[in-house]
Amino acid sequence: MNKLIGAIAIAAFSMTATAVFAQSKGTFRQAHDIGFGDASSLDPISRGRVFQLTEKLMSRLVRISPDGKPVGELAESWSTTSDAQTWTFKLRPNVKFHDGKVMTAADVVYSIRRIQDPKENSPVRSTIAVIDTVEAADPQTVVMKLKSPYAELPLVLTDYRVVVIPDGSGDTIKTTGIGTGPFKLEKFEPRGTSVLVANKDYFQGAPGVERVEVIGIADANARVQALLGGQIDFLPGLTRQQRTLLERSNRHSFWQVKTGNWRGMVFRTDVKPFDDVRVRRAVRMAVDRQALLNLVAGADGGVVGCDTPVSPVDQYRSPKTCAQDIAGAKKLLADAGYPNGIDVEVHTSTIESVWPTIAEAYQQQVAPAGIRVKVTPVPTDGYWTQIWMKKDVVMTRFNDRPADAILNEVYRSGTPWNESFFKDEKFDAMLDAARRELDAEKRKALYIAAQDYLSDNGGTFVTYHVVDNVATTARVKDLDKLENFSIRWHLVKVD
Amino acid sequence: MLRIFIHRLLLGIATVAIVSGIIFAAVEALPGDACTAILQRDASGERLANCRRELGLDRPAATRYAEWAFGAVRGDLGISAHNNKPIASLVGDRLKNTLLLAGCSLALGIPLALFLGVLTGLRRDKFSDLALSTIAIFAMTIPEFVTATVLIFVFSIWLGWVPGIVTASASSSLSAFFPGIVLPVIVLTMVMTAHIMRTVRSSVIDVMSSDYVQMATLKGVPYWQIVFRHALPNALLPAINVIALTVGWLLGGVVVVEKVFNYPGLGHYMIDSISDRDLPVVQAIALIVATAYVGVNLAADLLAMAFNPRLRTLKARSP
Repeated sequence: MNKLIGAIAIAAFSMTATAVFAQSKGTFRQAHDIGFGDASSLDPISRGRVFQLTEKLMSRLVRISPDGKPVGELAESWSTTSDAQTWTFKLRPNVKFHDGKVMTAADVVYSIRRIQDPKENSPVRSTIAVIDTVEAADPQTVVMKLKSPYAELPLVLTDYRVVVIPDGSGDTIKTTGIGTGPFKLEKFEPRGTSVLVANKDYFQGAPGVERVEVIGIADANARVQALLGGQIDFLPGLTRQQRTLLERSNRHSFWQVKTGNWRGMVFRTDVKPFDDVRVRRAVRMAVDRQALLNLVAGADGGVVGCDTPVSPVDQYRSPKTCAQDIAGAKKLLADAGYPNGIDVEVHTSTIESVWPTIAEAYQQQVAPAGIRVKVTPVPTDGYWTQIWMKKDVVMTRFNDRPADAILNEVYRSGTPWNESFFKDEKFDAMLDAARRELDAEKRKALYIAAQDYLSDNGGTFVTYHVVDNVATTARVKDLDKLENFSIRWHLVKVD
Repeated sequence: MLRIFIHRLLLGIATVAIVSGIIFAAVEALPGDACTAILQRDASGERLANCRRELGLDRPAATRYAEWAFGAVRGDLGISAHNNKPIASLVGDRLKNTLLLAGCSLALGIPLALFLGVLTGLRRDKFSDLALSTIAIFAMTIPEFVTATVLIFVFSIWLGWVPGIVTASASSSLSAFFPGIVLPVIVLTMVMTAHIMRTVRSSVIDVMSSDYVQMATLKGVPYWQIVFRHALPNALLPAINVIALTVGWLLGGVVVVEKVFNYPGLGHYMIDSISDRDLPVVQAIALIVATAYVGVNLAADLLAMAFNPRLRTLKARSP
């Protein structure tokens, strides 16, 4: 270890010696899980995007600030008409792409239209579905017209995949990775080590490190070994067991970050007995959420709420909590015509390591309410195609999204990922009203009302939102203690 | 001799063909296909149909197998379903890495195993034999992933002498694998050395207690001459088959070791391709592994025949 640090120190020293004027120094190394194998790509909107690279190569129009609000990145400022349907973005002047070309409105328009193009078949298309047309008013101004009023457009644009690439670069971007980000591509090797170097012309100043290496390590334990052995500097997503190894290490720093990623159990609202709202309430009311969390992830391993899918760090999260109520659940079941309780078959798989534990803990907790749970493990293969949205009760998970995105994508009537088959015109109208409202306080009240309506009537038991365990080597400095896509990579330094 | 060779060669080709059929059927029988693996949650409707059409998965399995087999016979392994690159080069890179790992382990392991095997066999039941044999049993029975993890913990995390995992990509040059390859080679050497050593030891013991060695001893032939001229040539014959099996095992890609050390070899790639449902790649690797096993065993049998005239007729093998 000491030798390794020594070697790095020498390397860092020789680098500063050759480039006297550069502030950037040292190499920051992290891993990615090669989740997309040979389909890995630098195209930010493709399914195989390696976000550990694209997030450093490219910039968004708008990003999330450390306090959770949208702030301009490539956009300097924005304004909207009173109906919240036409938005105008002023671009930051003199921002250069890695190939030296100056970024203009034409590049922004191209990048957004490319996401909208059905031929690209990008998963991001539905994320920005609210945008109808995008035009360049002048080289520094972009105008977006929406399909319906939407007060939260800047939040939509903070998605890590909605980044700006050079006009016309769609066919080459997957290997060139040219953007306006703090790092430039030197080498792309998805299964090996990809190398980025500092972009000295970065519009927020030269980055703190000279090189970034992103190393493909498929195996989760191998990644932890790499961190312990000092071969990588940064690793989020540590399990509870791995956490104890790193918390005590004086060669590493450890912290926790609240995220919008959640785990849950879905009851289809369109099949018996869950088509009766009383049954849906009962199966969720019988749970002791905090006890379940303690068992599954540890008391500080997650955040519980009352079946809201909205992130605990989102400004629109409902503060509502709900306690276990066995008697209430029994009564609801009796009222619904099931005085002798119900049988529930929960399908689970090891795609998500905590799912089986959640299902078993749930089985124990709800038994006193007369809910007889049968836990059925199914193969990981084909879980998303043959079990999820097919069987009546399944396990689920979702990654961080803004409040409006998660509520619309998963609960609005008829959307493709409406896993609980929730169909409620009143709820849809609540979402529409929130989207139209330009007053921030009123909008917040509307979003909270929608979440509380969902927690009364929905079919999803949102078990908890994950608190991520993050560790770095002790040589890493100034890495934002934030959810991954909010980290400002140009600030990171290494000793 | 030539007849036996041709006979065995045909048997080998048939084995490889059957293996590839079984592998194809097995992967085909798994739920999901390359498209559901790529699309995951989006695998439905138009997207799924488009993807299947693009990859040709909408055609019957038998047709796809026949096409693949026909191409493979002509040396064309096809195109990877996941990244449109020719499989020959993708698999070629991994094969090169697996050969490097296997080569290093064999170069270290075989001489060591033969030496230790002969030593323990000759010094049967003495302290050195007991100690080495006990260590060998441990090395054989402790699973590789345990050995690997312990070695990583001690040499990479505690002492920091060598990297714990390999970070070179599949296509990097051979030198990029040092020093990352040191620990995987040690783990493999430990396991294979133990296997070969125990076989050699017991055959040395057998031969040393045989009639002709006793005869030689009674005639007053010097001990070392008995060992080197009379005993060893016979005692090492059984080792050839064990070594052949070991070589086959190493060439097949040692999945567990490659996974633990993040080593970009054939076994690792095979696992990845199975989870990606990249059937053409799985097939290609299966073909290579099966061919390696059959080839190495054939070579071992021929070698054994060369050393042992009693095996040289078909009749002698099936009386």
